[in-house]
Amino acid sequence: MTNHPVHPVDERPCASYTLRVNGFERPVTDAWIGESLLYVLRERLGLAGAKNGCEQGECGACSVQVDGQLVAGCLVPAALAADSEISTVEGLSAGGAASDVQQALADSGAVQCGYCTPGMAMAVHDLLQRNHRPSEVEARQALCGNLCRCTGYRSALAAVQTVADARSAALLEAEEAAAEGVGEAAEPAAADASAQGRQAPVQAPAPAEPEVPDLPVYQDAWTETAAAGEVPVFGNDDSGWIVAQPFEAPQAFDTPQPFEAPQPFDTPQPFEAPQAFDQPQAYEAAQGFEAAQHFEGTRMPGPAHPAQPAGGYEPSPTAVGTGVGVGVIPPQGYPGYEATAYGPGTVYASGATYEPTPAHGTSAPGAPFEGTPAHGTPYEPTPAHGTPYGTPAQGTPYPGYPDQQYAGTPYEGAGYEGTPYDRASYDGVGYDGTVYEPAPAAPYDATPAHGLRLPEDDHA
Amino acid sequence: MLPTSLDEAVEALAASPAAVPVAGGTDLMEAVNAGRLRPAALIGLGRITELRGWRYEDGGTAVLGAGLTLARMDRPDFAALIPALADAARTAGPPQTRNVGTLGGNIATAAPAGDTLPVLAALEASVTLARPGVTREVPVSHLLTGLDPMRPGELLTWVRVPLLNAPQVFLKATGRSGPSRATASVALVLDPARRAVRCAVGAVAPVPLRPLEAEAWVAGCIDWDARGEEGVPAIDPAAAAAFGEYVASACVPDGYGGDAASGLPAEGPTAEALRLRRTVAVLARRALGRALK
Repeated sequence: MTNHPVHPVDERPCASYTLRVNGFERPVTDAWIGESLLYVLRERLGLAGAKNGCEQGECGACSVQVDGQLVAGCLVPAALAADSEISTVEGLSAGGAASDVQQALADSGAVQCGYCTPGMAMAVHDLLQRNHRPSEVEARQALCGNLCRCTGYRSALAAVQTVADARSAALLEAEEAAAEGVGEAAEPAAADASAQGRQAPVQAPAPAEPEVPDLPVYQDAWTETAAAGEVPVFGNDDSGWIVAQPFEAPQAFDTPQPFEAPQPFDTPQPFEAPQAFDQPQAYEAAQGFEAAQHFEGTRMPGPAHPAQPAGGYEPSPTAVGTGVGVGVIPPQGYPGYEATAYGPGTVYASGATYEPTPAHGTSAPGAPFEGTPAHGTPYEPTPAHGTPYGTPAQGTPYPGYPDQQYAGTPYEGAGYEGTPYDRASYDGVGYDGTVYEPAPAAPYDATPAHGLRLPEDDHA
Repeated sequence: MLPTSLDEAVEALAASPAAVPVAGGTDLMEAVNAGRLRPAALIGLGRITELRGWRYEDGGTAVLGAGLTLARMDRPDFAALIPALADAARTAGPPQTRNVGTLGGNIATAAPAGDTLPVLAALEASVTLARPGVTREVPVSHLLTGLDPMRPGELLTWVRVPLLNAPQVFLKATGRSGPSRATASVALVLDPARRAVRCAVGAVAPVPLRPLEAEAWVAGCIDWDARGEEGVPAIDPAAAAAFGEYVASACVPDGYGGDAASGLPAEGPTAEALRLRRTVAVLARRALGRALK
């Protein structure tokens, strides 16, 4: 407990605010104001896509978008990101369908351990939002803040070009289709895009479709399966989808888009995307998820979701602290996650309950991580390189001990004078007559020196 | 707390002087994450739109808002205005950092490796510090060196930069090819109206250093009338190289990186000092060459 000094309450000022993540209002209550956006997303809101790499803004694993700008989530005070539009990598991989960016990263082999990949996907997504045809140099500059220590960057750069090519090809086809006939424009464009597979969704809407400026950024993943502006959330209807409408309704969706459940993927799913679409309990669990759903908006008009009940959803109050309030995208297919969403209130299959990692700077008494100091615990830093510490440099006058004969002896780097440094046998007596105490014999069952592990060592 | 206007922010800061004003938060949150800082309160400055742009003033001065982000300073319209500042902003970090990091935050944090600081020192910029009803103007160098530090409850609002309409160069040496903290950086601006060269070396000391003697010396070596003409070297290459050495020896002391606690008398420059001097010398020589090209 010495590593957990107890601070008075007023040293840990808290705030409650609402974050708008991926188009949904997510309340955050009683959070320390020093918590980073990354921490709040991961630990309070259960959106573990952004990764905690360095906490210094060096690695880019925590990249998210705040108000359309790519930022390092670890360097944004979450309390000051209230009322901002935050989009995370979960917004890309909406509903488990990898976006074209993510699919291209996986196909080009840019994923090995995958830790940097969510940040890399956000960086590529951000780059392609601003620059539809990035050159090699522009792509490198855009990805320069995302460190990858196992794969390298060549395949990520290839993925950028793949997505850019696919998007421009799809856009070209959409324009050609629009030129053929205005009335039939949207239908063949959508058909062409979906015929190309998931790597080539229409990046810009067909001209017949009205531009809706303030929609959340789901166009990557959703142009082929859902209309822009829909937010992918699994619900209780037969289709497995809930349509929320956090913004104003898009005007004309007269193109009927038969909603299909995500088909089983034969390609490996990267990132946070759930893997097990062949497990039926994933959808069943998702359907049970609706109890905690809370939707501010009304249903999207249109025939896209015939299985949903007419009249919209009854807004149900959000259970405080459950973390499964407004529009959580439930993780599916993870063993132990079927019953409820990840977050506070989660009961895992093993019976263990959710224990949030202590906040940065939190050193609450009785924290469940005694022994390891929480982030933010004041600590004695390791001395900087060059700090006088440890073995003196060669030639440094040895200060010695006051009652010993070696005071002031220059240290030659090969042991102090009188040390039987290079003698094969050590008889306990130095050549100058000093009698050294032999080292105490090791107990019989002690771990042998030099890190050797015996088979009976249960820690081996 | 997210004030939306400058007056609101200044009053909020006066009401709670212990609160930390946060612009981009990149340096602040790094300290908070590492446990070095526990803010009593935060005042977010990101919503103050008036501080996010710049305006012009009579006398050839640009007044830059403290909330101007590094990414904004990288854009071509700003780069045409103050090229060295744009170069410094471009190399200041990855896009994730530059999108939120601000000019005012760079000054207020006053990190030794802050990339815009040598440029501001070379440009002899000044900043406006605001309290409710009171503003005062402080040269950036006075602010950074602690000659005239920021007082509690003061907010850095504007940065006044003279427009010189002359070549400006910012060069930086880093430990990796990507964006990272500078091991040494050199900002060099020409002031043809006064026939002066102004140079500042960053990241080798807690504050950017101005080698004033070297500046005065090299200004006399430059053929100012031939500057900009085709095929006429404005300065002897040997003089440029000597300028680099002059700057380096002026800014990097003999005992740089040495172990002051060991008590050994310094016998000539340390290895670290020699290495850093070489870096600074090359940067200064190249900066002068590019400015006079």
